Amino acid sequence: MGLPCGTYNYSYAKDMAILRTKTHWALFIALLILVFTAPLYCDNYLLGVANLMGITLIAAVGLNILLGYCGQLSIGHAGFIAVGAYTAAVLTGTFELPFLVGLICAGLMAGLVGLFFGIPSLKVKGFYLGIATIAAQFIIIWFINHLSITGGFTGIAVPYASIGGFVFDTEASQFYLIMTIAVLCVFFAKNLARTRIGRAFVAIRDNDLAAEVMGINLFYYKLLAFFIGCFLAGIAGSLLAHWIGFMNAEQFSISESILYIGMVIIGGMGSALGPILGVIFIRLLQQGMMFIAPMLESAFPALPAGFASGIAPMLFGVVIVLFLVLEPRGLSHRWMLFKASYRLWPFSY
Amino acid sequence: MAEFLQYSITGVTVGMIYALIGLSFALIWKSSGVANLALGGLVLIFSWIFYAMLVQVGLPLWLSLIVVLILALAFGWLIERFCLRPLIAQPILSLITVTLGLEFFLEGLAVFIWPEMVAGLPPLFPIEPLKIGPAVVSQAYVWAAVISLILFGILTLYFRYHKMGIAMRATADDQLAVQACGIPVTSIFSTSWMLACVVSAIAGILISSISGLTHGLVETGLKAFSVVILGGLDSFIGCIVAGPIIGLAENLGSGWLTPIVGWGGLKDVIPFIIIIVVLFIKPYGLFGEVRIERI
Repeated sequence: MGLPCGTYNYSYAKDMAILRTKTHWALFIALLILVFTAPLYCDNYLLGVANLMGITLIAAVGLNILLGYCGQLSIGHAGFIAVGAYTAAVLTGTFELPFLVGLICAGLMAGLVGLFFGIPSLKVKGFYLGIATIAAQFIIIWFINHLSITGGFTGIAVPYASIGGFVFDTEASQFYLIMTIAVLCVFFAKNLARTRIGRAFVAIRDNDLAAEVMGINLFYYKLLAFFIGCFLAGIAGSLLAHWIGFMNAEQFSISESILYIGMVIIGGMGSALGPILGVIFIRLLQQGMMFIAPMLESAFPALPAGFASGIAPMLFGVVIVLFLVLEPRGLSHRWMLFKASYRLWPFSY
Repeated sequence: MAEFLQYSITGVTVGMIYALIGLSFALIWKSSGVANLALGGLVLIFSWIFYAMLVQVGLPLWLSLIVVLILALAFGWLIERFCLRPLIAQPILSLITVTLGLEFFLEGLAVFIWPEMVAGLPPLFPIEPLKIGPAVVSQAYVWAAVISLILFGILTLYFRYHKMGIAMRATADDQLAVQACGIPVTSIFSTSWMLACVVSAIAGILISSISGLTHGLVETGLKAFSVVILGGLDSFIGCIVAGPIIGLAENLGSGWLTPIVGWGGLKDVIPFIIIIVVLFIKPYGLFGEVRIERI
């Protein structure tokens, strides 16, 4: 059996390819098959968790473009998701437009709102931008609660998604819809990072003054990052609305926004793999806590009454702090290290 | 006219408490350049601890105050030592998000220990209302404003004359130079966190004695960001000027606009609108230092 001692490229196209060897292709296709046949062997509960993960992943990919690639802090991501969710809800529910129109409009609307709140990023950065986006979060949620078209505090019912007469009314069918869009979004983000736009984003993240000196139009690219990030948030919001079937502004609290930042950081900022790992990590942790907390509560009656609802945020806070202190480059960096050591095994280098 | 006076007095006095929370932010920003987004969580947790001491344990007022202040000092030290110190010289984004994680933790802690969402503090100040002209103001507001002003004065003097305060100002100016002079920068950082925690504890107690104790106090802490943004991040004067302005805008705005537009709860959104407007027009605030960046 002849082992390859390296990967040789005979053309530039091959050198640039994301999947470079036949093994890569085989693994990739196996993974896709595994994901898309999941409804055959998963029950509805697992599919529901997977759907939530898929929706979260789309939003997290958006935040990763904004925060991980372009370095613009947004603590209002849940607010932008809410914009998308309510746009889709109003368009398909109240005006009975088709699902796809609602989906695109949700993305555009969230993108435009993101553009508006991204304008301060031209003058300020870091903490100031964080505050601006926190303010955006509160202003958006306040408007949703007080406009009559969004149903106010009572919320708004959303019909199932449907394309050309086919109604996505089961977890399994929605799983296919959500996963398809999620895979497309990850593919888009992975490729975006390799284009001129992605490289401009990275240059802005590393030093925006130097980037400007090198001829990158800050005005254009910063706002473009906000638009793309919030566009994906809007898409996620639209899918979320159709998946849950009922929208209420309480689902889009500031804690949710912080959680999204946590996901991007835990996964690893500025890598395509990062959001996937971060989303799986956080959502699994959430599901695990929902599962374990009541059990612990019944096993140890001495625990305070707020244990079940309070332990999850505490744990997330600790996890975020621990990751920042111990592994600021996130899980994807760990994965890289593992891959490198696996490739060289049994030699150390 | 009476209405106007009423709104103004309430606004200015509540604004003084916002200024106090903003002061706690400025303390940390000035000395270590860390943006503390966990303000809301700190305000929340200390006011609930105060409630626990005063009502649940049943300590007298002065003793529970002392206990809260000691706990605040301990919290400040712990936070600085275990969350912020490992992140010295990390990118600003890490420093911001670590405080967000902290905020998450503190909110969870409050729910964990006190799941009962709403509680009332016994009145800390005499309850007979004061009459100022045609307006009637409860004494708690006036006391809160007075205490805020006194604290502000003490802190200003501390920063001007006390050795530690001067060292803090120097650290804000140039960390390397300060280290070269033999001032332990790390102890400056922890002192500033401890002071900030004490200030936000007092602010939390004052605000919860006025408007009750809920888990919504987090939002009060977040509202205080409008104070620091409007006043300028690194300016004490900015805080004490901007606080009452925010309070006034909040109270007058909601008092007058609510009957016109018919939307309730305007009070909760006006500070955030002010943030956006300030960031658009004058991003470094009224008194903030405009930073010039070089490559």
